[in-house]
Amino acid sequence: MISAVHFDTEASSRTMTERVLLLLAGMFILVSLVALSVARGEPFSDNWSAFFVWIVCAVGGSLIMQRWLPRHDPLLFPLTMFLSGWGVIMIDRLAPVFADRQMLWLVVSVVSLLAVAIFPYGLRWLRTYRYLLLVGGLALLVSTIVFGSNPSGQIGAPRLWLNIGIGFFQPSEALKIILVAFLASYLAEQYPALRAVGTDHARMWLSPRIYGPVLLMWGLCVVVLVWQRDLGTAILFFIVFITLLYIASGYTWILITGAALVALAGIIAYNQFSVVQLRVDIWFNPWPEADGRAFQIVQSLLAFAAGGVFGQGIGQGSPGYIPVVHSDFMFAAVAEEFGQLGSVVVIASIAMIVVRGLHTAIRQQRRAFNALLAVGLSMLIATQSLLIMGGVLKLMPLTGVTLPFLSYGGSSLLMSFVMIGLLLRLSAEEL
Amino acid sequence: MGTDVILFVLRLTAGVLLMVWLGALFVVMWRDYRSAVQEAQASRRTYGQLIGLREIDGSYLRTGQIYPLLSLTSIGRAPTNTITVDDNFASNEHAFVALRNGQWWLEDRRSRNGTTLNGMMVKQPIVITDGDVIGIGQLRFQLELDR
Repeated sequence: MISAVHFDTEASSRTMTERVLLLLAGMFILVSLVALSVARGEPFSDNWSAFFVWIVCAVGGSLIMQRWLPRHDPLLFPLTMFLSGWGVIMIDRLAPVFADRQMLWLVVSVVSLLAVAIFPYGLRWLRTYRYLLLVGGLALLVSTIVFGSNPSGQIGAPRLWLNIGIGFFQPSEALKIILVAFLASYLAEQYPALRAVGTDHARMWLSPRIYGPVLLMWGLCVVVLVWQRDLGTAILFFIVFITLLYIASGYTWILITGAALVALAGIIAYNQFSVVQLRVDIWFNPWPEADGRAFQIVQSLLAFAAGGVFGQGIGQGSPGYIPVVHSDFMFAAVAEEFGQLGSVVVIASIAMIVVRGLHTAIRQQRRAFNALLAVGLSMLIATQSLLIMGGVLKLMPLTGVTLPFLSYGGSSLLMSFVMIGLLLRLSAEEL
Repeated sequence: MGTDVILFVLRLTAGVLLMVWLGALFVVMWRDYRSAVQEAQASRRTYGQLIGLREIDGSYLRTGQIYPLLSLTSIGRAPTNTITVDDNFASNEHAFVALRNGQWWLEDRRSRNGTTLNGMMVKQPIVITDGDVIGIGQLRFQLELDR
């Protein structure tokens, strides 16, 4: 329809943007790796393989997408590779034992991203088989209640993982995408009714179309919370769901009711669960127990202070004082070694991913499912990042979710990449 | 002492690269915003007119109808077109007149009776200039560009 000449110039400028950003990301990762080697005093250590794997992933991904998905968003892939490459280096620095495994997961994740982005029927299948997917996801979740384990092997730790032989997989990560896709396709079907002009709003209030899924989701969150003690995932599901419902319907009362329900659930959980009580107490005032139960959060705050504006330099700070820093507290480690500058770059990069996702949603607004799916995936990344960054900074009670792309965790990395793959696919869809 | 200096230089480089990264993101977003604004303005801007003509005995007479020329002007019988024509020999989605890379192109949208340019059938997209006459069914349009 539109002549090829026109699109070729536009496509090549997109490719240029992507390549320049990937080049910058690669340079930063290389400099960080060199600095890490020098700081460790072993210039030719084996962590160089990380850089080559990263280069192969970045260049390969860019070339494959230029060939098979020429009209994709030029920012999403470099941002993802930048953050995940940075994450791999930080894991190498903080917990060298896990670095190789994370590299393997990175390769698997990039391949999955490309597969999801290029495969043309993915979006249709997400819609067609939504009930099957939902039942499957819920079955996986229930199976963790029965068969679940914790890689750390501690007694009493939340058992959110399934041992699948080659490693541990966290089904709630996959369930995130399945739920967002399910809700997007459900709400897209209800779109004409939700958006009908001149309907009786008082009756819409009470329509099972709206409170049906609300109750379902709320029940699901309660199950996750009560049986799994997985506070972060429960609150994440609920916030993303409320946002989706608000965007689909446009009623402000949904946001108010949602906030009230979260507060109510918080109060009940505070009185019922010792975990929640602990988290809220040490958020309120961690200092009386700085050596005890609040040790992690206090060390995190000290790491931020030690980092200052420009940071200690990679390998030269001491983020190791924070227990399990390589997963939930990755943001604190970045802040200590790269300073406020590094934190700002992390926040800006994640925010940019979210902005591009919402931009895709606006471009796709004539296709309700595509728009809602893009909004849902962006909100997942945004909410999860805000929850953990706010928690690490003691701006809100700590909820144990990972920082997307940066934290150690195979299923988290894989599912974040799949989300980006879906967003890339959506951004290349015809308007 | 040597290691300290190297580490300091590397820290500096890493910091500068982080700032360049932020700057690059900003530039990309800014360019994206500018082109979105331009696109929005371009779709509303008119570049000239299409003057309605009628062909009688080999000479053209003005019908008095003048249509604004947009960067993408569609002609056809369907009401969704930029120029809706009421002609039995025109198709619902008949033809495009579009500005691409500084040139005006005429493109037939696989209409049943075809589109003509100065009396000749248009088989594939073709560049048109000021004064050319486009034929849709029994109707004729003369391209008049703003200077």
